[in-house]
Amino acid sequence: MGSSSRARLSRRARARAAAEDGFTLTELIVVMAILLIVVTTLSSVLVSATHTEVDANKRFQAQEQARTGLAQLTRELHCAGQTSGNSITDTSGNALTPGTAYSAVTMQLSSGCPTSGGQAVYVTWCTAASTLTTGDFALYRVTSTALPRPTCSTAGKVKWMDYLQPTAGSNPTWSTPFCLPSTTAACGGVLKPATSLPILHVTFPVNVNGPSSTIDTYNVVDDIALRNGARS
Amino acid sequence: MTLVELLIAMIVLTVGILALVAAYSSGYVALNRATRVSSARLVADAQMERFRAVQYSAIQLNTSCGSSCSEDSTYTSDTAYSSTAQVTGASCASTEPTCLPTQTKTGPDGKSYRLDTYIDYGCVSGTLTTAPLSCGSGNPYPVKVITVVVRSSSLTTPVREQSTFTTFPGG
Repeated sequence: MGSSSRARLSRRARARAAAEDGFTLTELIVVMAILLIVVTTLSSVLVSATHTEVDANKRFQAQEQARTGLAQLTRELHCAGQTSGNSITDTSGNALTPGTAYSAVTMQLSSGCPTSGGQAVYVTWCTAASTLTTGDFALYRVTSTALPRPTCSTAGKVKWMDYLQPTAGSNPTWSTPFCLPSTTAACGGVLKPATSLPILHVTFPVNVNGPSSTIDTYNVVDDIALRNGARS
Repeated sequence: MTLVELLIAMIVLTVGILALVAAYSSGYVALNRATRVSSARLVADAQMERFRAVQYSAIQLNTSCGSSCSEDSTYTSDTAYSSTAQVTGASCASTEPTCLPTQTKTGPDGKSYRLDTYIDYGCVSGTLTTAPLSCGSGNPYPVKVITVVVRSSSLTTPVREQSTFTTFPGG
């Protein structure tokens, strides 16, 4: 390589090193356009994923609450009426009419029951308007150590379920979820088997999407045995 | 910064955000799976609760009422199945959910679940003999062991629940 060629290369390298050129306007616009498209797409996916995750979490919590509430109600119904034998009544102390749906039921727990707090108590499970969503109902538990039996208007009630909402079914429904079937009077299509203990049919349709929603209802249904009731 | 550098930075950003979305997605899948398992457990709980209401003598399966009482290979291949210790009785009404070996139930989530019920004699102590029914001299009378298995294609493993029922005066 000649000395003139080396000088040319050296000049070109120095010129490049000294260059302070930025992007052209076209380059900048192209980059910003691509960036905008990418970020918009990704953020919409991210926002959608966040919404779905929040919704799923809320739904799961409501369902978990329903399952916990059912477990507590089952536990108390199994223990109810140990001393009186009369497991369950309405809030006035009258026996439940078979096949009729009730918004509240009352039981008497003896001091030996695990959830009685060591003393004989009247426990009422009842539904009342939800404080979270207009039109929805919630399930409450309220106790009293003396007569009269507590109702949902009694102070100190504790919420065990929320987002109870209408479904296509009837008798029992979201606001009247308790029903005592007999061998002839059905509750939600359920009859009491012959020579079995009495059972309480309960329905708790949970839906976090509001009272008018018809999708994603989590319908907790059970037939709880009243273990201290009379077999018939 | 060149255009190439900017493009690389965007690719890195995309990978990061996609990883975040994947984390959300896997959380959603896990929640759904937990819901399925919980729903299946409620189906199993409800079936077990039905047995708590009936008399001890009525705890039996009807395996001879035709197609509605059939025991297919899925049923008989379960570890809870025993052809010798199974408690059966033709008098058990085939309309009663407690009498059916296999039935389909709708869970609280609206999905369909296969509910298999196994009722076997068992011994608290001693060894079971079926003719005559006994756990051996000096041992308590045999108990009935109920196993409820809930299956669904959306469950990775079936949900199982087991409880022992014994007779008592008046039971």
